[in-house]
Amino acid sequence: MALARVQLPAAAKRGEVVEVRVAIKHAMETGFRFDNDGRVIPRNVVTSIVCRYNGDEVFRAETGSGIAANPYMQFYVVADATGEFVLEWIDDAGERGMERAALTVTA
Amino acid sequence: MPSRRQFVAAIGGLAAAQLLPALASAQPDPFAPLIASFTGGAPVRQGRVTLDIPSLADNGHAVPLLIKVESVMSAADHVRRITLLSEKNPRPVIATFHLGPRNGRAQIATRVRLNGAQRLMAIAQLSDGTFWSGSAEVVVTTTACLDDS
Amino acid sequence: MNKTIRDQATNLSRRRFIIGSAAAAGGGLALGFKVPSGIGTAAAQTVANGAAEVNVWVVVKPDETCVIRIARSEMGQGTLTGLAQLVAEELECDWKNVTTESPTPGQNHARKRAWGDMSTGGSRGIRGSQDYVRKGGAAARMMLVQAAADLWQVPAGEVGVANGVITHAGSGRSTTFGKVAGAAAKLTAPDPKSIQLKDPKDWKIAGKAVKRLDTADKLNGEKIYAIDLKLPGMLHAAIKACPVFGGKLVSFDEAKIAGRPGVRRAVKVDDSAVAVVADTWWRAKSGLEALPIVWDEGPNASQSSALIAEHLKQGLTANDAFAGRQEGDALKAIEGAAKKIEAVYSTPFLAHATMEPMNCTVRITADKAEVWVPTQNGEASLAALSNASGLPLDKCEVYKHDLGGGFGRRGGTQDYVHQGVAIAKQFPGVPVKLVWSREEDQAHDFYRPISQCRLVAGLAADGKLVGLHARVSGQSINAYLNPAAIKDGKDVRQLQGYAKDPGDAQLGYTVPNLLIEYAMRNTHVPVGPWRGVNTNQNAVYMECFMDEVARAAGTDPLEFRRALMQGHPKHLGVLNAAAAKAGWGTPLPAGVHRGLAQFMGYGSYSAAVAEVSVGNKGEVKVHRIVIAIDCGHAVNPGQIAAQVEGSVAYGLSATFYGEVTVEKGRMTELNFHTYQILRLASMPKVETVIVPTHDFWGGVGEPTISVVAPSVLNAIHAATGKPVRSLPLKNQGFTVV
Repeated sequence: MALARVQLPAAAKRGEVVEVRVAIKHAMETGFRFDNDGRVIPRNVVTSIVCRYNGDEVFRAETGSGIAANPYMQFYVVADATGEFVLEWIDDAGERGMERAALTVTA
Repeated sequence: MPSRRQFVAAIGGLAAAQLLPALASAQPDPFAPLIASFTGGAPVRQGRVTLDIPSLADNGHAVPLLIKVESVMSAADHVRRITLLSEKNPRPVIATFHLGPRNGRAQIATRVRLNGAQRLMAIAQLSDGTFWSGSAEVVVTTTACLDDS
Repeated sequence: MNKTIRDQATNLSRRRFIIGSAAAAGGGLALGFKVPSGIGTAAAQTVANGAAEVNVWVVVKPDETCVIRIARSEMGQGTLTGLAQLVAEELECDWKNVTTESPTPGQNHARKRAWGDMSTGGSRGIRGSQDYVRKGGAAARMMLVQAAADLWQVPAGEVGVANGVITHAGSGRSTTFGKVAGAAAKLTAPDPKSIQLKDPKDWKIAGKAVKRLDTADKLNGEKIYAIDLKLPGMLHAAIKACPVFGGKLVSFDEAKIAGRPGVRRAVKVDDSAVAVVADTWWRAKSGLEALPIVWDEGPNASQSSALIAEHLKQGLTANDAFAGRQEGDALKAIEGAAKKIEAVYSTPFLAHATMEPMNCTVRITADKAEVWVPTQNGEASLAALSNASGLPLDKCEVYKHDLGGGFGRRGGTQDYVHQGVAIAKQFPGVPVKLVWSREEDQAHDFYRPISQCRLVAGLAADGKLVGLHARVSGQSINAYLNPAAIKDGKDVRQLQGYAKDPGDAQLGYTVPNLLIEYAMRNTHVPVGPWRGVNTNQNAVYMECFMDEVARAAGTDPLEFRRALMQGHPKHLGVLNAAAAKAGWGTPLPAGVHRGLAQFMGYGSYSAAVAEVSVGNKGEVKVHRIVIAIDCGHAVNPGQIAAQVEGSVAYGLSATFYGEVTVEKGRMTELNFHTYQILRLASMPKVETVIVPTHDFWGGVGEPTISVVAPSVLNAIHAATGKPVRSLPLKNQGFTVV
């Protein structure tokens, strides 16, 4: 997997509720693990996952170490206009990621 | 038959409470302070929120979870936020999700990390300001911590 | 005879019937999974052939057979018989009519965990379930009595019961369990608060050295271990995982073995393992040996025992240790002491080396996943099966086989189930039996962690101990398996046996200035719980050093300890009992020397006195070992003695031979020529003293192994005048004869 994946149908009818699945490749280092010298490996988890549809936020998750490695989210969105889904996330270290997918909406 | 009547335990709410000494005892609710900070002290009703999670999980590294809230998800009546709480994890708030009428359905699936057998609770805030909750129990088969006392 | 797998695997109609009847009856009262009383299954649960399930713990047949349900795993430790004794005691049945049956994890799941926790480890099989299984037996008795009372229309209080016979003295009537079980099963269960359990002083079945219920079919060839299982159409799989932990599977060339007779496929199991599947295990194994495999061994390929030892040594004096015990000022007291004693001890990685290697048989179809497996935790196997197959729990089933050795390897770590599913998925509908070779088993264990310990003691001029400082530096089990269990960076689990407060593993000494620390130093080698877990090495460190200190003080090792144990009467009690039985202080034949040790673990107190002679070339003969144990209530004294004897065999093997070393990143001792086991001729006479204090429930499976090595090492010290500070003995110039 590349750093992230956004999956949804390529096309939908206006008003249809479509399933969106996002997956981010990230170790979600909990901050509880220890290295070989007995030192705690610092926490570095994805803290925020945001999905925008044609620029408007349609899903946001504030996440932490309680979400499993390679965070996976599945949610629903009403298809209202052809356009772009943009997934963005940020982690404790300030690393940001982005992935896009297109949705064609027919009458 | 007097002897049988004496003998028969009252099955129903009363006996259920008697039969569940562990749960009926006055242990402080681990969720209470977390709920209060999410709701600002507003009351929470049980219902409308379901957590689908396997009742037995293998080591708790990645347990699939489905949260559903009954809602038409219209502009006038929808789920605004859902917070997911853990009874036993070192960090009790697992995640908070923000939704709105553009979702069409209040249903989220994800995978969680669970630290030991515990109850999970999800609290949903609706657009009308009310709070609803649902919970589920998971037995996480631990990696043999049985010598810890 | 325990009817388990044979019946469950082959008698499908009966199994479906048990689950079905529970569902039809509404599954009984939902008691919440935390409280597994199973007492409240309300409706009649009629099992096949007229037998009646009085409650989930007791089924009574018309022929008076009482089938007691056992939820925990049997791995030779005798828990099956012990639990049956406890239930039968309260049930008041005839012990001769008792047989047992094990519900499957799927049945437990279907009946809302009516049998509760199935995990078997931490020496908790009996002490963790005794309360509710005894109540289950008592409740069944009360219902059987009530059924007779109803039949006779007399008050239940006038009805007597013993040995499965129910009597009403007033009218001279009597009946038997088998005759009233059907009516009893229809009654509502008694309120748990009304259940009175017998005082153990009145035990007639429990507390007695009754013969085990499960010996016969081990002797007559009927017993089917999972490794013996034969199913129609079964295929066999042999597996090889990357020899260096952390390495990866790059590729394998299936074409090179395609023509071999019976070989079906080579299967990638996961990122670091490949398996060959064939119509016999030998063909699978030899196909696997002929299969060209490319590994990327990764950075751990440069690891070695020497590097690991250096790494641990650094932890002995580093600044990052945490104090698990800190009373007074040990460093100051030692600094100002008249005499100082210092020593560094070390103990190696140990393998579980279960006689039955890791194995399981898996069958996967579109809507059912099944595994036949030796497991210490049936529910963990069920969860692993569900997780790996992707099928929900109610479409999964586990058939538990009695284990050919568990010792902590087969509980929380269900890696072989995950592997079995990955392979079986390639052969839908076909049972695939995965068996690890001995080499694979030795190379891919979750080992007893390696550690070292630096101890320093200060003695006053009068020979009294004024200060003790112990620093353990070694690998952490929790860091590997469950890091979130380590609170505030303090891994107290690695200091097992050194606790201040009463509990499972309290230190039996009062030392005025005490500092016990742990520095975590991890390696690339997976670690896990080995019988006795951390009490093994911690007892060696404390008890062997205590002898060094006693000798430096010019004091008898027993007297030296007694002076420190006045505040720990139960620890002192077992030490005195072992010493008395062994005749500590009385003359011994020339060349024979005694050593002793005491330690607590798993809620029980243990002490050992070993009698040893050492020849000129280091030949060690262990003549006799006396072990005293206080486990509180003793359910089966004969089985306790058997567990003690087993702990001596397992413990002495580890003491003389046990080590798994690392060379080029890989584990080196791969079979029993290099990872040896004690021979029968070297086994000492073992005498068990059960110290009966009756007022608590302690474990039996693990406590006594901790005192085996230190008592023998202390005897060798007495014989040679020199302490032995490193295990195994074979590396210190000793052999066992």
